[in-house]
Amino acid sequence: MSEVEKLKAELKALGKEYSKIKDLPPEERGEFGRKINQQKQTLLAKLATAEEAAESENIEPLDVSAPTAPNRPIPYPQLGTRHPLMVELDRVTAIYADMGFNVMESVQLDDEFHMFDSLNFVKEHPARDGYDTFRTREGFIPPAHTSTMQHRALKKYRHLLDHHGQIAVVIPGRVFRNEDADATHEHTFYQCEGVFVSKDATMGQLFGVLKRFFELYYGQELELKTQPGYFPFTEPSAEFLIEKPASLGGKGWLEMGGCGMIHPNVLKLAGIDPEIYHGFAWGGGIDRLAMLKYDLPDVRYFESGKLEFLEEF
Amino acid sequence: MRISLNEIKKLVRIPDGVTDEELIERIGSRLVEIEEVIELAPQYKGIYVVKVVNCEPIEGTHLSLCQIDAGEHTSEFSDTETVQVVCGAPNVHSGMLAVWITPGAIVPETYGNENFKLSVRKLRGFESYGMLAGADELNLDDEHKAIAEIDPRDARPGDNFAEVFELNDIILDVENKSLTHRPDCFGLIGFAREVAGILGVRFEELEWLCDYPKVEASALTVQIDDSALCPRYSAAVFELSDNQPSKFLTKEAVFLEKAGMRTIDPLVDLTNIVMLRTGQPLHAFDYDKLIAVGGVESPRIIVRAAQSGEQLQLLDGKTIECIPEDILITSNGVPVALAGAMGGKNTEIDASTKRVVLESATFSLYNLRKTQMAHGIFSEAITRFTKGQPAAMTMPVLLQAVSMLGVDPIAVVDEWKAEESQNVVKITTDALNRLLGSDYSTAEIVETLTNVGFTIGDYQKESSDSELVITAPGWRTDIHNAEDIIEEVGRLLGFDNIPLDLPRKPFSGAEVAPMWRLKQNLRGILSDRLGMHEVLTYSFVSKDLLEKVGQDPEDSYEIVNSISPDLQRFRQQIVPSILGKIRENLKAGYDKFSLYELNQVARKSTGLSVEQTPILETHLGVVMIGDFYELKASLLSMLKRGLKITIEYASMLGNTEAVECYPYLEPARSAVLTVEGKMIGAFGEVKRGVLLRFKIEKPVAAAELDLDQIVGLKPKLGKELKISKFPFVERDLTLKVVSDAAFGRFDEKIRGVLAGEELIYIVKPLSIYQAGPNEATKNISFHLRFSSRDKTLAQTDISDIMEKITVEVTKLGAEVI
Repeated sequence: MSEVEKLKAELKALGKEYSKIKDLPPEERGEFGRKINQQKQTLLAKLATAEEAAESENIEPLDVSAPTAPNRPIPYPQLGTRHPLMVELDRVTAIYADMGFNVMESVQLDDEFHMFDSLNFVKEHPARDGYDTFRTREGFIPPAHTSTMQHRALKKYRHLLDHHGQIAVVIPGRVFRNEDADATHEHTFYQCEGVFVSKDATMGQLFGVLKRFFELYYGQELELKTQPGYFPFTEPSAEFLIEKPASLGGKGWLEMGGCGMIHPNVLKLAGIDPEIYHGFAWGGGIDRLAMLKYDLPDVRYFESGKLEFLEEF
Repeated sequence: MRISLNEIKKLVRIPDGVTDEELIERIGSRLVEIEEVIELAPQYKGIYVVKVVNCEPIEGTHLSLCQIDAGEHTSEFSDTETVQVVCGAPNVHSGMLAVWITPGAIVPETYGNENFKLSVRKLRGFESYGMLAGADELNLDDEHKAIAEIDPRDARPGDNFAEVFELNDIILDVENKSLTHRPDCFGLIGFAREVAGILGVRFEELEWLCDYPKVEASALTVQIDDSALCPRYSAAVFELSDNQPSKFLTKEAVFLEKAGMRTIDPLVDLTNIVMLRTGQPLHAFDYDKLIAVGGVESPRIIVRAAQSGEQLQLLDGKTIECIPEDILITSNGVPVALAGAMGGKNTEIDASTKRVVLESATFSLYNLRKTQMAHGIFSEAITRFTKGQPAAMTMPVLLQAVSMLGVDPIAVVDEWKAEESQNVVKITTDALNRLLGSDYSTAEIVETLTNVGFTIGDYQKESSDSELVITAPGWRTDIHNAEDIIEEVGRLLGFDNIPLDLPRKPFSGAEVAPMWRLKQNLRGILSDRLGMHEVLTYSFVSKDLLEKVGQDPEDSYEIVNSISPDLQRFRQQIVPSILGKIRENLKAGYDKFSLYELNQVARKSTGLSVEQTPILETHLGVVMIGDFYELKASLLSMLKRGLKITIEYASMLGNTEAVECYPYLEPARSAVLTVEGKMIGAFGEVKRGVLLRFKIEKPVAAAELDLDQIVGLKPKLGKELKISKFPFVERDLTLKVVSDAAFGRFDEKIRGVLAGEELIYIVKPLSIYQAGPNEATKNISFHLRFSSRDKTLAQTDISDIMEKITVEVTKLGAEVI
C-alpha cells in the first residue's frame, strides 16, 4: 500500500469516528468534535505532501547536461558586450570622479596651437618630433596626447578658481601616433589626462593623487616611484611607475605615464596667474591597463572588431 | 645613447659603498630613463691577448697552423710552451699579438643569441684550441676583415683582453627623449656631472673646459652672415703628419665601439671621441682643398643660409638640393659643408691631406631640425646639434682636441658676435619647497646646485625666504626660470623623497560631461539590454572605403604622413568602418549579430568651430545582420525605452539631403531621424551593391545617429505609466485595408481615439497579413488593452469606444473585420 493510499484509508476511518458523536453525552461532544477535526487537518496536510512527492516520483528526469530537450529548439540568450577598453575608461573616470575630478572628453582632430604652442613647445623645437604626430593636408593634427586638452580645460574651468579654489578635471580620449602597429604598439589608442590647479598645489600632492588613484584602481596599497622625464609643458617633470599589484603577479614596477607641475607659461596662456596659482598634470595610457588586466598578448585586438575577441568580455 | 659606466667613474668619485647596481638604479630614477643595461664583462670571459710564436701554412688549404704563447694561461691548455690553434685568416703571421678565444669561452659575437662555445677540435688532422678572433667575432666590428692585431705597446701575451680594452664595463643604453632639453648631457662629461649631482658629491670640473686662453686674430677669417643661424664658429688650422688608419685594434676604436660608433681614421676618430666626451661635434676640412674651392690664398669661411635649390655633394657621395632653412659652410661663398649635418666631398680629408681646418661651432637647432628632416640625416653629430649645443663650449673643446692631437695650431679663430649673457635665476627656499611640497633647507639646496656647477650669490644661511641668486654654468642652456631650478633640486635630491599629500577637496561634486554620460548610458542599453556588441574601429580609413560606401573622399580630412593607404582619411561616419568588420565575423561563423560604435567623426564640409579647429561630431553607428524592421525595433527600444526620448522618423524616399548624407542606405527601405525638423541620423537597409563591394552575402541594416543632437534632449519619465486602479479591457481588432496603405496612419488613429477618451491604453500590433504580393488588400491586427482612470468600464462604454474606433478607421478606408 502506498503512503497516499494509507493516508486515504486513515481519513476514511476517521470519518467513521464522527458517527460516534451522537452516543456521547452532550457536554463531551464539543471536545470530541474538535479533536477529530484536528486529526483530520493533520491527515489532510500529510496527504497533500505525500501526493506531491508521489507526483514528483512519476516525472521523467531531464538531461541537465543537454542544451535543450529532444525536439525542442536550443535557446541562445543574446548577450551583448561592452568594449573592454571602454569598460576600463569608464572605470578610470569613475574613480577620478569619485575623487572629485570633473570629466571632459578629448577631441580627435586638433591644431598646432593646442597640441604644441599652448603647451610651451617652442616653434620648431625637436621636442615636437618626440610625439610622432600625424598631420592632415588641411593643417590639423590628430592629437598624439590628451595634453592637447590642457589649455581648453584650464580655460573652461578657470572660473572655478574663484568659487572652489581649484580646478580638478580628467580628460579621457583617443590619441594617435605615427608608429607601425605590432603586438605592443598601436597607432590609435586611449589616454586619460589629469589637470589640477590651486594656490597651494604641490608635487607631493601630485604623487599623492596618483598613488591614491592606483590604490583604488587595483584595490590594494601600493608604492609609487618616479624617473626623469621631459615635457615642455611641465616643470618639474617626471615619469611615474607603480609597484606591480598582487593581482598582476606582484614584483617589479610598471611604467604608467608622465606627470609634472604645470609650466607657468601654460597657465599664463590660459589666463591663470602663475604667481598665484600652481598646478599639476599627468597622463597615462588606458590600453596598457586593459592589456595588463586581461593579460592580452596583442594590443591590436582592441580595434580588430572581431567577435571572437569581444565575446571574451 | 650608450654611456660607459667606466668612463663615468673616471670623471666622478663614486662614494664608498655605492654599488654599480645602486648607481644604475639612481641614474634611472633621477637622471635619465635607462632602456637597457648591457654588461660587457661576461661577453669577454676566457679571452686573452696572445703572441703568435710560430705560424706555418697547412698545405693544400688556406689555413695556417699556429703556435701561440698565452703567457700565464698557456699552461692551462698545454703541457708545452705554446698552444696550437688553426687559423684561416690571411693576416696571421709569426710575431704578431692576436686575440685568443679559449676553448670553453663563448664567441662574443654570438653572446646572448646562440652562445657559441668554442672547444678543442680537429681541423685537417690538427688539433685546434679555440680560435684567433677577428674584430667582428669580438663584437667590435660589423665586417669580417681579418683577425685582430694588437699593438705590442698596449698589451703583453696572457693579458686579459677585456682588461686591456676596458671591456670590463657596463653600458647604459639611455632614452634620449628624456634628455631632449639637456644638450650638456649628450657628452660623457656633462652626464658625469649629473651623476655627481645625484650622488650628492661635488663634480670636479675639468680645467680646460672652464679656463682657456684668449685667441689672437690670425690669418684664418670667419664671417657669420646671421648670428641667429650660427651663434659661434671656432676653428683651428694645423698640419697633419700621418692619418693612416692603424692596423691594430686600438683602444680608441673600442671606446668608439662601446658608444655605438666605428673607427675611421685617427683624425676622425679623435673628433668623434671628443664629441662623445663633451657633446660638441667637430668637423675637419682639408685646408688646401678648401682654399682651392674658394679660390683664395688663405681660408675665408662664410657661414650663410642656403639658397633654395643650391646643390652640394656630401661626404657620403649623395648630392643634395638645399632648402632655404639649411645652413651652409662656404669657402669664400662656395659650399663646402651642410652645417651640423655632413661635410662636402670637395673638402674631404684623405690620405694626401697635409693641412686641416678643424671646425667647432654651434648652429640654430631649429634650422638643423629642418635640415635633418629634409635630407634624412640622423648622425650622432646632428642628434647633438638639434638639442641646441651651448656656444660656451666650442672654443675650449676645439683647443682640447688640438691638444689631444699633439699639434701646434698654425691659426685659430673664434667668431662669437653675440656673447650669450649668463642665465641668472632668483628663487627662495620657501618658494621651492612650496611647489615641491618638500622641506629642504637652504644649505641642502645650495649644495645640490653647487655640486653640478651652479654658482650662488651671497645669501643668508639661516633664512628660508631670502633670495638665492643662482647663475647657471655656460653649458646649461635649459635654465631660464625658477621652475627650472626647482626641477633641478627636486630631481637631484630625488622626487621620490618628497612626502606624499592629497589636495583638499571642496564639496562641489564632480561634473561629468553630458556626452560621456550619454555614451555610458547607451552602452548599458545597447550592450547590456539589447545584446549588441560594442566595437572600436580606427578613426583613419582608406579612400577606397569611402568610395565603396559612396562618400566623397575630398570631404575627409587627409592624413599626409599616414602609415599606410588604409589609414589616410579621417572618417566621416561610423557605419562604413563597421561594415568593414562584418565579413570577417560572418566568416568566423557568427550569423546573427549587431555591432555598434560610439566615436568621433568629422567632415570638412561641416566646417570649423570658433576655435578654428574641425567640428567633431560624436556618432552612434550600428550595423546589424537583419532587415529594416529588426533594426527599427532595436533602435526605437533604445530611444523610447532606454533614453526615454521620442524622435520623429519618416521614409528616406525623396529626401535628397538624407540620400546624399547616407549614400549606402537604400532610400526605399530606410528612414530619416529628425529632431524639430533637423536631420540627426538615418537607419535602414544597406544597398545590395554596397554589400557586394564588402563581399557581405547577408542582408544588413545600419543606423548612423549624431549624438550631439540628442545629448541635450530631456527624457520623459513617469508620465505614461500603464497602471490603473480599474480593470483593463482587452480587445483584438483586425482591419482590412488596401495593400499600399501605411500602417502608421491606422495605428495613430486608434491611439488618437483612446487618448481622446482619456483612457490608459496600450496598442500592440499583432500582425500584418497579405495573402500574396499581388493582392489588393492586407489585414492589420491589433491587440488593444485599455482602462478608465476613474471607473470600471461598463459594457456600453466599451461598445462606444470600439464603435468610435470603427468610425474613424473606416474614414481612412479600412474595413473592420
